Amino acid sequence: MHDNITVSFAPHISKPLSTRTVMIDVIMGLAPAMIAAGYYFRLRAFILIAACVIASAVTEWVCNVVRKKPFSLGDFSVVVTGIILALSLPPMLPVWTAVIGSVVAVAIGKMAFGGLGSNTFNPAMVGRTFLAVSFGTLMTTWTVPATIDPNMSKISAENILISDVSEFRTQATPLAWSKMAIKNNLGAETYAEAEFLGTVTGAVGGCLGETSVIALIFGGAYLLIRRTISFHIPAAVLISAVVFAAVGYWQDPMTYVQPLYHLTSGGMLLCAFFIATDPVTAPLTRRGMWIFGIGVGGLTMLIRLLGGYPEGVMFSVLLMNAVTPLIDRLCKRVPASGKPKS
Amino acid sequence: MGKLRYFIEQSWLLIVASFVFGLLLAATNYALEPVIRQNRTDKLNRLAKGLLPAAEHFVDIGSEVEIESGRGQSEQITVYRAVANNDKCVGWSFNIGGSGFADRIDLVVAVDAAFEKFAGYDVLASNETPGFGDKIKNDYYRGQFKGAPVGRLKVLTTGNAEKIDSEIIAISGATISSEAVVAIMNGVVGQIRERLLAEGLIDVANAEQRSQDSNSDTGGDVGNE
Amino acid sequence: MSDGSALKTGVYRDTLLAGLWRENPVFRLLLGMCPTLAVTAAVKPALTMGCCVIFVLLCSNIIVSLMRNLLKPHLRILMFTLTIATFVTIADLILRAFVPDMSETLGPYVPLIIVNCIIICRAEACASKNGIIVSVIDAVGMGIGFTGTLCVLAGVRELLATGKIFEVAVMPGRFVPWAAMGMPVGAFITLGLMLGLVNLTSKSRS
Repeated sequence: MHDNITVSFAPHISKPLSTRTVMIDVIMGLAPAMIAAGYYFRLRAFILIAACVIASAVTEWVCNVVRKKPFSLGDFSVVVTGIILALSLPPMLPVWTAVIGSVVAVAIGKMAFGGLGSNTFNPAMVGRTFLAVSFGTLMTTWTVPATIDPNMSKISAENILISDVSEFRTQATPLAWSKMAIKNNLGAETYAEAEFLGTVTGAVGGCLGETSVIALIFGGAYLLIRRTISFHIPAAVLISAVVFAAVGYWQDPMTYVQPLYHLTSGGMLLCAFFIATDPVTAPLTRRGMWIFGIGVGGLTMLIRLLGGYPEGVMFSVLLMNAVTPLIDRLCKRVPASGKPKS
Repeated sequence: MGKLRYFIEQSWLLIVASFVFGLLLAATNYALEPVIRQNRTDKLNRLAKGLLPAAEHFVDIGSEVEIESGRGQSEQITVYRAVANNDKCVGWSFNIGGSGFADRIDLVVAVDAAFEKFAGYDVLASNETPGFGDKIKNDYYRGQFKGAPVGRLKVLTTGNAEKIDSEIIAISGATISSEAVVAIMNGVVGQIRERLLAEGLIDVANAEQRSQDSNSDTGGDVGNE
Repeated sequence: MSDGSALKTGVYRDTLLAGLWRENPVFRLLLGMCPTLAVTAAVKPALTMGCCVIFVLLCSNIIVSLMRNLLKPHLRILMFTLTIATFVTIADLILRAFVPDMSETLGPYVPLIIVNCIIICRAEACASKNGIIVSVIDAVGMGIGFTGTLCVLAGVRELLATGKIFEVAVMPGRFVPWAAMGMPVGAFITLGLMLGLVNLTSKSRS
C-alpha cells in the first residue's frame, strides 16, 4: 500500500479547488446575509462583523506564532468562522463580548485541536456557546430592526434587562414568542401568520444574519450552484425539521406554530446552508450527511418544541459534530467490488 | 496451625493498624460529633430566624411529622415552633428537600403562626447551575414567597413578580430550578399543615390575631400592602 | 562528615522543590485532577481542599514511612488506603466541626481525597522507600505545590466568573461576570490553557 498513490472516485475534479477558493465561495455565499444584516441593523452589524473577523484572525495568527506553525490566515477559513460567529450574535451585543467569543472560537474551538481540519466542533458554534453560557442576558437581548416603524405594536419582551444601551428597542424573537405561546397556550398560529412575512424578509428581531430568509436562500443557492456544498445536509436538515414541526402542529395547532414558520425563523437556514455544511465537522459520505442533517434538524426541533430554550440550532450542531466521527465510521464507503475480506 | 500462623504473619500489621485507626476515628468522632450537630442546628436556626425575625427561639414540637413524599414513600420531618419573647407562637419552620435541576435542594421553610401564609424560605443546601439555577437563593425570587398563601403554588414564566399571591414567576433561564422549589413546597407544606391541625397544635383563634400583627409588622418588607 | 550533611541538605532541597515546581502534582504529574477540576470555582474552597490534602499527605507519609520496613509487598496498597482513609475521615470531621460552610461547599470532594492519586503516589513513590524526614519534606513540597496550583486556577476562575477574589470584589463595577468560568467547562479551559502555558515556558527554557 503506497500512501502517495491515491485513487479517487469519479468525477475527477478538473477545476483547481483549494481551501482558499472554497472559503472565498462561502464568504460570497454569506454576502447577501451580511448585506441584509447591514440593512436591518445598520452600523451595529458592520461593527460586530468587523470585530469578530479581526479578533478571529488575530487569534489564529497569535496561536500560530506561539506554536511555531506556518502562517495559515491565507486560507480564509478563519474569516468564515468570524463572519458566521458575528452573524449568529444578537445585534446589540457589546463589542468586547464578541471579541471574547471570537478568541474562544478560534483558540479553543479550532487551534487547540490542531488548526483547520483537525477540529471536532464547529469553531463558530463553540464561541457562540461560550458566550451564551457566560453572558445569558446579553445573548438574549434582541433589538428591533432599524426599518421597523417604532410606533408599530410590538411583542413585549419579558424579563429582559437592558443595561446602558437605551437607544435600542428590544423585543422577543419570533421563536421566543412562540416558546411563550407553547408555555401559556396562547395560540401561536395567530401570531405566526401575522409575522410570517417579517420572518421571510428579515424585518424581525433576531441574530444579525438569521433574520432575512431571502438573503440566506440567495447565498445558499449560490453555494449549491457553485457545488461548494452538496445538497444533502441542507436538504436533510430542512426536511427533518419540517417533518418534526409538522407532527407538532398536527398534534396541537393551538400550541405549536406552523412548520414553515420554523424554517423561516431562528437560525435554521443559516445553520442548514452555512453551519452544518462545514466540511471539517460534517461527515464525508452521502449516507453520513443524511444522518447528520436529520440529526441536526431533529434535535433543533426537539429543543424548540419541547426544550427550555427557544432556539436549538447551536446545541444540535455541536451534538451532531460530536458524533460525526462515529457516523463516518458507520458509513464507510464500500469498494465497488464488495467488502474486502478481512 | 501452619495456615493460621502464616495468616497472622502476613497480616498482623493490617490487623493492628485497623484497630489503632479505628480507635483514632472513634476518638475524633466522639470529640467532634456534638460540635457538628450544634453547627447544623445553628444554621437551621439562623436561617429560620432570618425568615421569622420576631422569633426568639425555636422549639422542636416533640414528635416528627410523617408525610407522603410520593411513590408510596413517607418521610419524617421535624417541625419547629418559633417562639417569641412572650412565649407566644409566631410561626413554624421546617426543613424539607427534593430534587432540583442538578442535585437535591434542601430548604428551610417558615410559615406564620396560623399556617396560612409563607414567611419565606431559605436554601440550606443546593447545587444548582451558577448564574441561573442558583438564583433561587436571591431575594428577587425568595421575596415572592414572603406572604404568599399556604396552599398550591403555581409557577408562571411571565407575570408580575412584585405581586404576592399563589402565582410564582419563574427565574428567567432557570425554570426547572424555580419549579423545583415550588414542587418541594407543594408536596409537603399542605400535609404538614393538616397534621398540625389534626394534632391541635395550631391555635387558630390566637394565631389569627398574631398573624394580623405580624402582617402589619412585616408589611413594609413585603411591599404588597 | 560535612560533605555528607551538605549532600543531605541538597537532597532535602531537591525534594522540596520537586513538589513545588519540577514535579508539581497538577502541572507536571497530572495527578489529582478530580479536585483540581471540581473545587476550583473559587479560591476559598480550593484553599480548604489544599489544606486538607496537605494534612492527609503529611500524616499518611509519616505513618507509611514509619512502617515501611514492616510492609508486606502484596498488602502495601491495602495499608496505604487504610491509612489515607483514616486521615481523610478525620479531616472531614474537622472540617464539618470547624468550617461547616466550606464542608458543605466541598461536599463529596473531601471524602474523595481517599482516592486522590497524589497521596497514594507519594506513599508508594516516596514514603515507602525513604526515611521520615525526606517523607515529611516531600509531603510538604507536594502539598504546597498542589495547594498553590489549585489557588492559582481558582483565582483565575473566581475572578472571571464573579469578579471577586477571595470573595472580595476587585473588578470594576461595569465588569460582566463570565458565568461559564464558574462551571465545569471553565475548569477544563483554564486548566488546559495553564498546562499549555507551563509546557510552553519549560519548552522555551530547555
